[in-house]
Amino acid sequence: MQGGLERATGEKMVLSFGPQHPATHGTLRIVLELDGESVLKATPHAGYLHTGFEKLGEHLDYNQYIVVTDRMNYLSPLSNNFGYVLAVEQLLDIEVPKRCQYIRILMAELSRLADHLLWLGTAALDLGAFSVFLYSFREREKLYSIFEKTTGARLTTSYTRIGGVLRDLYAGCEEDVREFVNNFPKALKETHTLLTRNRIWMDRTKGVGSISADDAINYGLTGPCLRAAGVAHDIRKAEPYSSYDEVTFDVPVGTNGDAYDRYLVRMEEMIQSCGIVTQVLDNMPDGPVNVENNKITMPNKSDAYGHIEGLIHHFKVVMDGHGVETPKGEHYCATESPNGELGFYIVSDGSGTAYRIRIRPPSFLHFQALPHMLEGGMVSDTVAVLGSLNVIAGELDR
Amino acid sequence: MDKYIRNIYRGVYTVLVGMRVTIRQFFEPNVTHQYPYEHDFEKKRNVREIPKGYRGQLYNRIEDCIGCKKCELICPVDCITITGTKLPKGEQLWDSMNVVHLKDGREVIGIVDGDDKKIKSADSITLTNITSRQGSQEVIDRLEPSGVENRTQTFSGDEVSRVVTRNPVVFYLDQFDIDMSLCMYCGLCTEVCPTECLTMKDTLAGVEYSKFDRSDLIFKFDKQEMYNKGNTEEADAAD
Ligand code: SF4
Ligand code: SF4
Repeated sequence: MQGGLERATGEKMVLSFGPQHPATHGTLRIVLELDGESVLKATPHAGYLHTGFEKLGEHLDYNQYIVVTDRMNYLSPLSNNFGYVLAVEQLLDIEVPKRCQYIRILMAELSRLADHLLWLGTAALDLGAFSVFLYSFREREKLYSIFEKTTGARLTTSYTRIGGVLRDLYAGCEEDVREFVNNFPKALKETHTLLTRNRIWMDRTKGVGSISADDAINYGLTGPCLRAAGVAHDIRKAEPYSSYDEVTFDVPVGTNGDAYDRYLVRMEEMIQSCGIVTQVLDNMPDGPVNVENNKITMPNKSDAYGHIEGLIHHFKVVMDGHGVETPKGEHYCATESPNGELGFYIVSDGSGTAYRIRIRPPSFLHFQALPHMLEGGMVSDTVAVLGSLNVIAGELDR
Repeated sequence: MDKYIRNIYRGVYTVLVGMRVTIRQFFEPNVTHQYPYEHDFEKKRNVREIPKGYRGQLYNRIEDCIGCKKCELICPVDCITITGTKLPKGEQLWDSMNVVHLKDGREVIGIVDGDDKKIKSADSITLTNITSRQGSQEVIDRLEPSGVENRTQTFSGDEVSRVVTRNPVVFYLDQFDIDMSLCMYCGLCTEVCPTECLTMKDTLAGVEYSKFDRSDLIFKFDKQEMYNKGNTEEADAAD
């Protein structure tokens, strides 16, 4: 009401940015109160892509829910799969074989690359740099062919299973990944040449949407956005999960916490991910990819055909009340997804279905910090800030 | 005035120079597919290869399906519907038969001469009443007149990889429908299938099967005629 009155007097203008806007990448909305070109007040609205994913967790069993996690952060579904099964496995108190852990890390890092590449392309596109978009999508396409061959699908990967993965890497995967990783830094250099010292890019991003380290922590920012503000916090380093303690990598940090630093941090993270991928490939152990516990994973086919126990387990794993059953209790497990801390909080009542699954998506917390970054800035910076945060609507609304 | 005309001339000329590139494209072959009217992609150039193990359209080799409903149970979106009927005691749809898996991937169905339990790997095998099939997704309709003629074939021991005995069928499926418009290609159902009869096509046909009518996307895999006809003919063959 107030806003309407003021608009009538011509002093302030209320601009609804989204829900349909080329720069929102999904449906979200920011209501901007403008005085001329500068933003007086920004109000983010979530809920335009509500999918009920959390509610679905209450009646899909643990393995079925993996399918849903693909659709949360649809830019890096493999990271989501990983985070979710890790939470369930920690609740079950099982450890997956080393080879499985390495495969999961490999896939999570490749999906980090894919996510950052897509971010790079679209963030640059929003600010008018079209060729960067094409360059990054060319690289991303190579990654997606690797995902397609490994998991059987480009986007809805559903690759992990409770206690293992869907299937082992395909023959020739190592060569494909190595070839990609070896060529990637060269390809990324092109983008560096295009953007990093580019006057226009620097003017549009430097000092835009900056946030101090204290504020970033208070707002709950994680991932590249937090590190850009100068806090060297990475869950892979701080509380290593899976086999992350066996690989070495650096955590890049920024200083100003602005859009430009977020860009630099993400660019460096891609190079670090390449390093992790190479180490993982070098040390990839042999062995099974699934835990040998027939109460949790499906016995292999020769077992099911050859032994009556195998056959019984093959059936029981699927049946309600005989499959994966977590003990009563609750558990929170956080992983470092490309965007930041992705947490799964599972409350179990001892049955095969979770009593409640709560997801802590990084985008939700980044989105709520928007007013802090936008207010006092220019309206054209909204696009730059929103782009630099990489808010993914699927994950925002769950 | 002179300058004015020259300006116009130059404007038109430079546009024409630019248009030459565009006009040349008129005579190139089309790259665009007029989808959905042209969807026989196999005949086109520039088609992506579908990798092995891709999760495409579901296919059920219903002959092997035991109607265990595991796939129906695991499906997160409930797009599989199965109803089955058990025959009264003592009745069966066909007698037991053997499936000989050859090393080159072919599978031959028929009745093994002699006692099928006592076959050793080195023995040569003689099959009567055979139909053969290739790969896991080729439709076999062994009830076609050509498929049930009493053919006999002998395989030497090193051609054969294994011989499987199929038990008499006392159960048949009235309905096995998959609503592919609901399916999200997660592959959970193929993983749990104990007989590996439910598979996902990793070919172009398994990716591109769009229909104009939504009801055409409900794939029905049950084969009533197989059971009915199979009953008499298989019984004849066993005599
Ligand atoms: S692939 Fe389709 S039919 Fe099979 S479980 Fe997934 S959604 Fe259901
Ligand atoms: S799981 Fe396989 S055998 Fe069982 S009903 Fe489904 S398709 Fe048939």
